[in-house]
Amino acid sequence: MTASTRPTTSSEPSGPAPAPPSRRTPASPARTARRSRLARLDMRVTPYVFVSPFFLLFFLVGLFPILYTAWVSLHDWDLIRGQGDFVGLANFEFVLGSDNFYKALRNTFSIFLLSSVPQVIAAILIAYVLDANLRAKTFWRMGVLVPFIVAPVAVSLIFTKIFADQSGLVNNVLMGVGLPAIEWHSDALAAHFAIATMVNFRWTGYNALIFLAAMQAIPREIYEAAIIDGTGRMRRFLHVTVPMLRPTIIFVVITSTIGGLQIFDEPRMFDTGGQGGASRQWMTMTMYLYELGWGPQISFGRASAVAWLLFLIIIAIGILNFLITKRIAHSGGPAKGTR
Amino acid sequence: MQSTAAIEQFAGKGAARAARRRLKGGGGVDARPRWWNYGLLAVILAISFFPLYYALLLASSDAGTIARNPIPSLIPQGNLFSNIGEVIGSDINFWAAMVNSILVATLTSISVVFFATLAGFAFSKLSFRGRRALLLFVIATMAVPVQLGVIPLFIIMARLGWVGDLKAVIIPGLVTAFGVFWMTQYLDDALPFELIEAARMDGCNLFRSYWHVALPASRGAGAMLFLFTFVGSWTNFFWPFIILRGDNLTLPVALQQLQASYFKDYSLIMSGVVVSVIPLLLLFILAGRQLVGGIMQGAVKG
Amino acid sequence: MKFTRRTALAASAATAATAAIAGCSSSSGGGDGGSGGGDIELTVATFNEFGYEDLFAKYEAENPGVTITHKKAATADDARANLMTGLAAGSGLADVEGVEVGWWAELLQYADVFEDLTDPELEGRWLDWKVEAATVDGKLVGYGTDIGPEAIAYRADLFEKAGLPTDRTEVAELLTGDWETYFEAGRQFTEATGIPWFDGAGGTFNGMVQQLTHPYETADGTPVPLAENADVKAIYDLLVEYKDISGGMTQWEEDWTASFQSDGFATMLCPPWMMGPLSGNADGVEGWDIADVFPGGGGNWGGSYLAVPSQGKNVEEAKKLAAWLTAPAQQAAAFAAVGAFPSQLEALESEEVTSSVNPFFNDAPVGEIFSERATAIEVQPFMGPNFFVINTVVADAITRWDGDGVDPAESWEQALTAYDELGLA
Repeated sequence: MTASTRPTTSSEPSGPAPAPPSRRTPASPARTARRSRLARLDMRVTPYVFVSPFFLLFFLVGLFPILYTAWVSLHDWDLIRGQGDFVGLANFEFVLGSDNFYKALRNTFSIFLLSSVPQVIAAILIAYVLDANLRAKTFWRMGVLVPFIVAPVAVSLIFTKIFADQSGLVNNVLMGVGLPAIEWHSDALAAHFAIATMVNFRWTGYNALIFLAAMQAIPREIYEAAIIDGTGRMRRFLHVTVPMLRPTIIFVVITSTIGGLQIFDEPRMFDTGGQGGASRQWMTMTMYLYELGWGPQISFGRASAVAWLLFLIIIAIGILNFLITKRIAHSGGPAKGTR
Repeated sequence: MQSTAAIEQFAGKGAARAARRRLKGGGGVDARPRWWNYGLLAVILAISFFPLYYALLLASSDAGTIARNPIPSLIPQGNLFSNIGEVIGSDINFWAAMVNSILVATLTSISVVFFATLAGFAFSKLSFRGRRALLLFVIATMAVPVQLGVIPLFIIMARLGWVGDLKAVIIPGLVTAFGVFWMTQYLDDALPFELIEAARMDGCNLFRSYWHVALPASRGAGAMLFLFTFVGSWTNFFWPFIILRGDNLTLPVALQQLQASYFKDYSLIMSGVVVSVIPLLLLFILAGRQLVGGIMQGAVKG
Repeated sequence: MKFTRRTALAASAATAATAAIAGCSSSSGGGDGGSGGGDIELTVATFNEFGYEDLFAKYEAENPGVTITHKKAATADDARANLMTGLAAGSGLADVEGVEVGWWAELLQYADVFEDLTDPELEGRWLDWKVEAATVDGKLVGYGTDIGPEAIAYRADLFEKAGLPTDRTEVAELLTGDWETYFEAGRQFTEATGIPWFDGAGGTFNGMVQQLTHPYETADGTPVPLAENADVKAIYDLLVEYKDISGGMTQWEEDWTASFQSDGFATMLCPPWMMGPLSGNADGVEGWDIADVFPGGGGNWGGSYLAVPSQGKNVEEAKKLAAWLTAPAQQAAAFAAVGAFPSQLEALESEEVTSSVNPFFNDAPVGEIFSERATAIEVQPFMGPNFFVINTVVADAITRWDGDGVDPAESWEQALTAYDELGLA
């Protein structure tokens, strides 16, 4: 967030703009005055015009819908009939009193942890391997990024075949070497693992590049000092590199929280039914939202309650993250990561 | 190697030689990588590519073979093109979905670059009241899970009669907070005030300054933003899945429909996967260098 | 009969369980009758294959001034979503909309948004239960297109291994009776071969529950508390009793699809539209046949209607077209084109239908068999607004022990809790 803290040293005077002395066409004094007025207006108004498209669109398709979600959540509201009676917090009561909500919460966090923790570790290790004076650097970097361009739906279709219980690749290999097959769908943890694998497949290389950038920003003198001290490769990695990466790790975790808690594509595609299994063992919050709103219940009211609850959870975690980051930034190392 | 020179001065030649050896040897800062670096990277790349290769194997086989054996073959078989042809000609209008995906991704990417550079120009180089607060607001919105507004968004689109219409997917993506933030940061560093001043001296109004100075100056960052937005749009599923209908889909939704088909032919599903990956893969081969550079320059995450 | 659609629909909207019930077949819509005055444009929304394409051209030729636009969704799921949103928006629907029978569960509570299609002249055109399923308070909201009368598809080669009869007439005799008869034959089969008798308890449950007149709700739509639903519990218990002869697979999932190639099971419940997916999945496997029998009498799975939303501009012309498309002659033509099995009495007896055979199923006279199965059907189960949510609860409970290894009694307890949480009472 460096941009927000770095004041722009504007050389433009905020007072009356000097009349532009036209070098090409000598202008009459009256014309110059008019142009000067226009120029002043331009300076004053145009910046707002320039930034307005973002704000307009954000209010229309971002902020307003989120606030309106709260309104919908207080009503009996179905897909076809639209707005019904005001029901107060009944939709929230329904959702909070439903097992499925807690299952969805559990699954979402479980999948998130299974994807973010191994992913950060793997990404740092890959970055470490990439952080050498390699031949064909760009080739290797592009190589690890390839999975990122594959749509989650496509990734999920491939992995669903790999993780099929009886006809899948992994289980056939396991059984081929005499190991028991894993119940990828009926066992909740196994299902979460399978889904997390899809997420990891797509994002590890991407995060590795972020860590690589952060590693390269670590002043070489620090390494040199450690090397001269005779610190071994392993210790250098654990005691120099990793601590220096802390801000980046936090950044990666924060950004993946916002997306990770809204995960939908991969678990939705994990089977054909798309409801998250018979015991809802891999139904995530967003899938629950979808099922309530567009499934047989067609209840926008209840779906909105879920949306709003998830929204609050994400915001709460965001604030928590922010506070932790702040503390660490104060006590942390000198490297500001990649920001 | 100034540090070793210092060591030589203070600790003698032997120590300096040892230090130099350590610096050059295993895992030194600028050491030449060893064979295991390449070996490991090859393994990592193999893992990255394996699922795609597996998709290709299945796509080039046929339903019966796949059902009987999870690894139908080790090298691609001959059915790839006939399978792709069949997918493209199926009821799920894959060809139309491809055209739609290209349209949506191109339009949103161009628009994001245009509007984000415009706002980035204002935020980084112009002074106006509330600039700082507005910029902070932009940054804060990056943390807002806008996806959760789908229900009202759906209601709005239904009112407008845009359900099933590509407009419903394109318009919400026309400019992003990330894009604005990214361009602001970039222009802040990369665009000297002197250039804008010069343009103004020439009588350019702000829009012309933007058009003739800021936009060309941000080509590198703009290319990265374009690619990044393109990938995001191409792979987007949740909202299109809700709002798009019938014969007017984007590729990820078409893939989902393929999976939901009555008669599930895995060779066809995987052909669909292959078809959906190829355009982006080509783009990536051409311009992936910029994407890599962009990701490493800014801590970006979609 | 050509039934090789590769991309017909599968899972209906929300769930695989829903899909199992909603099943589906083809439906598509048609043209508009040209009336004397000026040009009329009609749109018809369909999904999967209805085989109406040629009929549209015919209708346009017979009714000058009428142009028909065909909007075809690839899956029923998609078509349902489209219909629901169009109703929600109050505009944007086609003049004639294809409706899968399962959707009535949700749609009948909004019957006022559809035109009343009651027409004395058309009385007696369809099978009684087909009409009843689309009638609410005396108002007919859809003209029947096709139906899904169920028979039993079986692997004659595996039957032979087990020492069971293989000829379809003898198999029909063997399996005639109630569900226990069917399961007992299965136990004998599984003991002899070690191969499961049917694909999965979920699909079988679906066939059984559709024989109940009021599976989950009373005639006025009041949900029957699951804990008091003796009929459904009896079916559940019966399936549990025979859980050892189930293949444990959920229909439409990867393993189910793959199991057709690996002798995964010997029999399955088969409506006409299932012949396509079955022969596709079992491509190259020899020995499939179809017997003219269904445990517990007749049963229907899937089938569609044409409805006319009131929001259309040409409702009268649209009604005319819908009536024409669902006339026996047209449905027989649709059957010939894509295998949509007609719901019209006259069409069921037509030459096109009765003479059809299917080479994949050992040249079984499928037209004759399914016509026979259609007349055996006595009820179309009542599907109220809560049908799908409750059915999903029960189907999930079955999948839990059939596929996921949970104890059946415990799974039922979980279903009761899930039912309570729906908050329907």
